[in-house]
Order: sequence, then C-alpha cells, then structure tokens
Amino acid sequence: MFGLFDKAKEHTAYINDESSPLMLKVEKGKTLLNAALSSGLPWPHRCKVGSCGSCIAQILSGKIKPQIDFTYVLNADEIANGYILACQSELCSDVRVKVNLDKSKKRSK
Amino acid sequence: MRFFVNARYLIVPVSSIVTITGVLLGGIYAWLGMTLFGLYTVVDTVTKNIRFRAEKDVNGNSYGVKTFQYLVMYLMLPVFILLQLVLAWRLYQYTSGMPIEAANIGFFNYQLGISGLHLIGATISTALWAGLGIIYGHELSHNKKEGFFVSRLIMALSGASHFTYAHVYNHHLDLGHEDDPATAPRGRNVYWHAWLSHVGQSKFSYDLEKNKFNRQGKSTFSLKNKWILGYLYSLPSIFLFVWSGGLLGVIALIIVWTISNFLLEALNFMGHYGLIRQEGKPVEHRHSWDNDNVFTSWFFIEIGRQGDHHVRGETYFWELDDVGAPNYGIGYFSLFILTLVPFVFRKFVKHLLEDWDNNHATDEERLIAKKFTSIGIES
Repeated sequence: MFGLFDKAKEHTAYINDESSPLMLKVEKGKTLLNAALSSGLPWPHRCKVGSCGSCIAQILSGKIKPQIDFTYVLNADEIANGYILACQSELCSDVRVKVNLDKSKKRSK
Repeated sequence: MRFFVNARYLIVPVSSIVTITGVLLGGIYAWLGMTLFGLYTVVDTVTKNIRFRAEKDVNGNSYGVKTFQYLVMYLMLPVFILLQLVLAWRLYQYTSGMPIEAANIGFFNYQLGISGLHLIGATISTALWAGLGIIYGHELSHNKKEGFFVSRLIMALSGASHFTYAHVYNHHLDLGHEDDPATAPRGRNVYWHAWLSHVGQSKFSYDLEKNKFNRQGKSTFSLKNKWILGYLYSLPSIFLFVWSGGLLGVIALIIVWTISNFLLEALNFMGHYGLIRQEGKPVEHRHSWDNDNVFTSWFFIEIGRQGDHHVRGETYFWELDDVGAPNYGIGYFSLFILTLVPFVFRKFVKHLLEDWDNNHATDEERLIAKKFTSIGIES
C-alpha cells in the first residue's frame, strides 16, 4: 500500500538456509540475479532476458516486482507457489528466497 | 565526451526526419530517403576499418545517458507514425488527381500534388526508413513494461508486432539452433530467409500464446492474446493506406511492409548466418557475428555488437563492447549489398566460416558443420 512512498535504496534477500542464510543486498532498480552475480554468488542463469527459466527461485516471504509477465515461462502452480525468475525480479521488500545454487534447472519450453 | 557518446546515435532519428521532410517537399525531394540510404552505404564501406571500443569514465561507467537515449527511442514512435502519414498524404494527392503546383505554408515552400514516379520514390524512401527504424523496436523489446509496449507499437507499424515476443523468448533462447527461425543455416539465401524467419517467428509467437492460455485453461482466441493483439495494432496503418489510396494504398503498404520486414530479417540473417550452437549449451560470443565498424555501430545503435548483446541481453546498447566475437570485418550496409547477391555473399563468407569451424567451434559444433559440408554446403 505504501510502495509509492518506499524510499529504501536497497533491500536484503535472505537466501536458502533458514538458520544461517546468505545475505544479499539488492539495490533499487537492480534485479535479484544481477545483484547475486555482482556479489559472486553462483546463481544459475542462462539468457538473462526472462526466457529460459534457468534462474528460477522461490520466494518464501516478502514481495518482488516482476519486470515481465512470468506466465510465458512458469506455470500457474509455480507462480501460485511463489516461484519467480530472478533475472526479471526487483525487490519491493526484504525477502526470503530459496534457490538451487548447485546446478541450473533445465526447463522445457 | 558525454555529449559526443550520446549525440552520435542520432543518425537514424535525424535521417528519418530528413526523409519525412523530403516527402513533404515533394518532387525530386521525395527520393531523399533512398538517396541517404545509398550515401550511407558508401560511408559505411569507406569507414569499414575504423572501430571504437565502448568508452568509459575513470570509474568504469558508460557515458551513455539512459534518460536521453530512452526519450529518443520513445520519440521514434511518433516519428515513424509521421513517416506513414506523409506518405498517405501523398497517396491521397495522387489518387485524387491533385494538380502538381507550387505551394507554401509560411516560409515552407513545397510541391502540392505528386507524379507517379516521385510517389514511387516516396514509397521506397518511407519503406527503407521504416525498416531501418526497426532497430528501436529491437532495442526496446529488451526493455520492460512501457518500453516493451512501445516496441510492440513500433513493430506493428511494419505489421510485425509478433517480433517483440519471438525475439526475446525464441531468438535469444534458441540462437544458433534449428529451433530459432531467425538464425539462417548455411546455404540459405537472404530472400528465402526473410520469409521463413518472418513466418517462423510469427508461428512461435502464436504458439507461445496458445500454450500460455492452454496452461491457464482459457481460450486462445481472445483480445488478451498478444499475437492477435499485435496484428490488431497494425490496423490503423491498414485503414490509413486504404482510406488515402484505395487499391494503390494497399499496394504501397505492401511495399512498405515488405521492404521494412526484409531489412529486419536481413539483420537477423547477417547476425548469425551459418553459426552453430549445440542444443542445451549456453549462448557464447562465438554464436554471433559482430559488425562494429564506426558507422554501423553509431547508425544501428550498436546492434552490430551481437556477440556481447546475446550474452548480456539485458545490457543497454551504449554499453555493448567488442568481446572478440567472430567479425565480418565490414559494416551492415556493405554486407547487406553482398547478401543481395547470394553467390557473392557465400563466396565472401566461405573463409570466415572455415575460420569459425577451425578456431571458434567446439568439437560437437564442428560435427554439425560437417553435416552441411557432407551435402555440399560449404558456406
């Protein structure tokens, strides 16, 4: 509701492990993926334009702003369960996010 | 430096306005757009050995000003609309039999009425600059929200609104593979590629929407279908040309759309001709041809730095750089002329493909290349 008045220049993404998560600062206007890559995190990715789905992650809490329509890549169940494309997501609040940093998930079209 | 870096990308906006002015002036000036195209081909050829790297300040930041560059790109939408309006105005004068005579509005002297010959010049000039302007549709297709929508509208002026979705969701994902209609395999000529790529991208865009609606359990045939909506965006152009020129207007619009789409597909053709990527492997710099001599770079807003663009698709055009991708060594204008004569183009590209096979390709990509060679296609 107060998004318009949100002057925060960055938000924090708490990644994976609930007890000792990786903390990632994401500047306003920057995508989750770009912030992760800038900090050296091996976030799976491929196209970086929102078409391959390799950077898929699950938002467990908090809000993101999608830059594009995710429905071309993610199905309804995935979207309902909080899955996002990190390369096309900005943060609107601090978030808890789950991502498989070990390998990229190959997705079918 | 900041002024220079930003102003150098204004060649197309200024040239488009010159073309519009030429059609407005009438007479021999209706050919101005076509003349500029010829002039730029010469400039591009003469400057083929001059190259610049992307300039950065001491902090490593680009001199490009995002607000200015986006303002220019958005303003190109009304410029392209104006381009069609002035041609429609001339079509109306011709079909209504308006006599050719001198006229003026204030200090602006122009010729009222137009001959059939100069109407041809106006149509070709409009078509060429509508086609060259598609570079903004491409750049904005990588933008989000309003930029993506403006891209759709710019492409719709050429009846190609499907491009915006197909480019992002198909071309950038499937580049160098047979699943990408915009990648020209070895042996194909630009004329055949233009049709195959155009239809293939439209089909992809339709299937993308169909699959999305199927997943949602909704009907494909709806005004929320972006493929259908994209073609509806083209209706104002159709109405304009039918109203202003009747059958002749339809013919003129077909010419404008054919030439502008041919130029778009020629860019796709040149960008990846004959390059191969094994399915499932990441897109690398070697999967695109760079055309980055000075005039091509500035005129085509760095679209010729394909190697960098396809690996960093989210990067603004003014930040793209030479990344060591395979390079034709000549600019787009010069190369385009070569592609128009298929056997000359294939002769030109033969040694470049041999070099790619030997020095850039992986073993798997080389094996795929050999399949082409085994059926007699070497370039």
